[in-house]
Amino acid sequence: MKITRIAIATVAIATTLSLTACGSDNNASSSASAPAGGVTGALKASGSSAQKNAMAEWVNAFQTANPGATIDYQANGSGAGVQDFINAQTDFAGSDSALKPEEVAGAAARCAGNNAIDIPMVGGAIALAYNIDGVDSLVLDPKTTAGIFTGKITKWNDPAIAALNAGVALPAATIASFHRSDSSGTTDNFTKWLIATTPDTYTLAGGKDWVAPGGQGAKGSDGVASSVASTKNSIGYMELSFVQTQNLKAAKIDNGGGAVEATSDAAAKTIAAATVKGTGNDLALNIDRTVADGASYPIVLVTYEITCEKGLDAAQAALVKSFLTYTSSDEAQGALSGAGYVPITGDLLTKVRASVAAIS
Amino acid sequence: MSTQLRGSILPKWFAVALAGLSIGSAVMIERTTSVAGVGGTITLAVLLYLVLQTTWSFTVEGRRHAIDRLFATLMYSSFVIAALPLATLIWTVVSKGIKELDMNFLSHSMRSVSPSKPGGGVYHALLGTLEQVGIATLIAVPIGILTALYLVEYARGGRLAKAISFFVDVMTGVPSIVAGLFIYTAFVLTFGFDRSGFAAALALTILMLPVIVRATEEMLKIVPADLREASLALGIPKWKTILRIVLPTAIGGIITGVMLAVARVAGETAPLLLTTFLSQSINQNPFAGPQAAIPTFIWDQISSATPASLDRAWAGALTLILLIMVFYGTAKLIARYYAPKA
Repeated sequence: MKITRIAIATVAIATTLSLTACGSDNNASSSASAPAGGVTGALKASGSSAQKNAMAEWVNAFQTANPGATIDYQANGSGAGVQDFINAQTDFAGSDSALKPEEVAGAAARCAGNNAIDIPMVGGAIALAYNIDGVDSLVLDPKTTAGIFTGKITKWNDPAIAALNAGVALPAATIASFHRSDSSGTTDNFTKWLIATTPDTYTLAGGKDWVAPGGQGAKGSDGVASSVASTKNSIGYMELSFVQTQNLKAAKIDNGGGAVEATSDAAAKTIAAATVKGTGNDLALNIDRTVADGASYPIVLVTYEITCEKGLDAAQAALVKSFLTYTSSDEAQGALSGAGYVPITGDLLTKVRASVAAIS
Repeated sequence: MSTQLRGSILPKWFAVALAGLSIGSAVMIERTTSVAGVGGTITLAVLLYLVLQTTWSFTVEGRRHAIDRLFATLMYSSFVIAALPLATLIWTVVSKGIKELDMNFLSHSMRSVSPSKPGGGVYHALLGTLEQVGIATLIAVPIGILTALYLVEYARGGRLAKAISFFVDVMTGVPSIVAGLFIYTAFVLTFGFDRSGFAAALALTILMLPVIVRATEEMLKIVPADLREASLALGIPKWKTILRIVLPTAIGGIITGVMLAVARVAGETAPLLLTTFLSQSINQNPFAGPQAAIPTFIWDQISSATPASLDRAWAGALTLILLIMVFYGTAKLIARYYAPKA
């Protein structure tokens, strides 16, 4: 009896030990002998779910180049990310909006009295994806979009839509509009665009929660995308990458200067033209959503990385700086459009690099 | 033939034939009218069966047999309705998860795996779940069993015992996210510890405790008093009676209770989101640094929403179910081994 007990215990311990020993972090298929990079250590960051997949790609590339470094990004939402950063749980936060005035004091306390800075790093385009049989090209302007999403325009062959789409055979079907049911930066930036361009038609409040009447809610951009894909005569707003993964068609947007297709390049123009409203190395942006030059796609969102300009531990600061230097490199920004994101370009990217260089 | 004692009874094959007839006609109706879908056809077949069987049986066998058959059928269908969600759930998880589940999946982490590409695995999360649930079990089992022993053996109905029982009941109803929030505010924010696998284990302990106390208490209560009295009458001290007589008698039930508690917490996601920091890499140390767990792994993969990461999420779900089955099977074996031979 005693011997059997000991045997059982031995087997249990042996199993556990062998289990602990057999796992592997090495998922590199070929570059196992990559030269060891300079930086080591562990970084923690959390926040915006919009940049989750962009962050994952960057972290992978960075870890492959620096096998001694580990970066963990938890996509728990912009608000939670900023709170984690203020509570010193993380080294930087990802957020779809710059630090709010009421968050600045907490962030300064986190940074030992120094400023926390907003660094725009990942751009995104919000596409209006639709699903109408036989319609391959659709143009919408702010007024018709507001009309559709507030329930004032209910049929696809409404004169207001037909006027924008001469020569397109629009069906007499009822429009099914989908919006986000969860609190989201996508909704926030979509309504900001409506409020900036057509305040007379869209008279409701903006913000992260959808407030307009009518339409159906779906959770997450993936939820909206799959709802549109499975519902005939529907339309919904979502990040551009979901249009690609679900094989949907996105409407062109006419802000008054001609219809612009929803592409990464066209959205990058809008973001590059944004003015900086932050001071010093803080690059909080003012985006001109009424841009009507016929080449810039106006419905965009920008995800900031928020960190301390000074005041992090020396080791952590060096690692944050090293990682953000990589993410603002041409290589890292260039990889974004392939993943359905929008790169930061032009003068703004130069400013971003200057801000990153100032971290110490 | 009118002198028979038994009334006429429908033959044994009647039920089978009638079922075939009902399904056949339901399918015919669906084909010709095409109004009902698959679910509608099945409902129609069941209703047809009920009506036909009752009328047939009523005319041939009489009222009592008809009612008997009606209720027997209703009971069988209720069982099927109750078992259907479980069967479809297992089928869905197995059929979608088996594709990605292999040794590579079980032995690799997600470190440096792109969300949109296949590859990577659940190892880091598997290790995290084993460590977190293991620590939670190590803390909760002694406290839980000793609490139950106090309640049953020492404090028969005292005021303190009533208070403890009341609060254990209250704890049973604590939503898991609240347990996570409590550990997050107390352990992480107030005392300034980092989020870690250990913080998660503490949150899971809160969820395990009441289940273990309740189950152990019920098991100890059904140990016959005769056994205790016989032991005490032989001059054996109380502590030894409890250790050698009461606990071994109840061990099967206690282990089952512990396993239910383990199974409950192994699948918890909400407290882990607050107390561990999601990680894609292997972290063998539960006391420092971010650590993954299988539920958060599934959550993370679903929120990436690419076809490859959804496959990984299903495989992760299957891994979790298998893990709990292994736990449960082992516990049953141990319980059988320790149970007193009757």
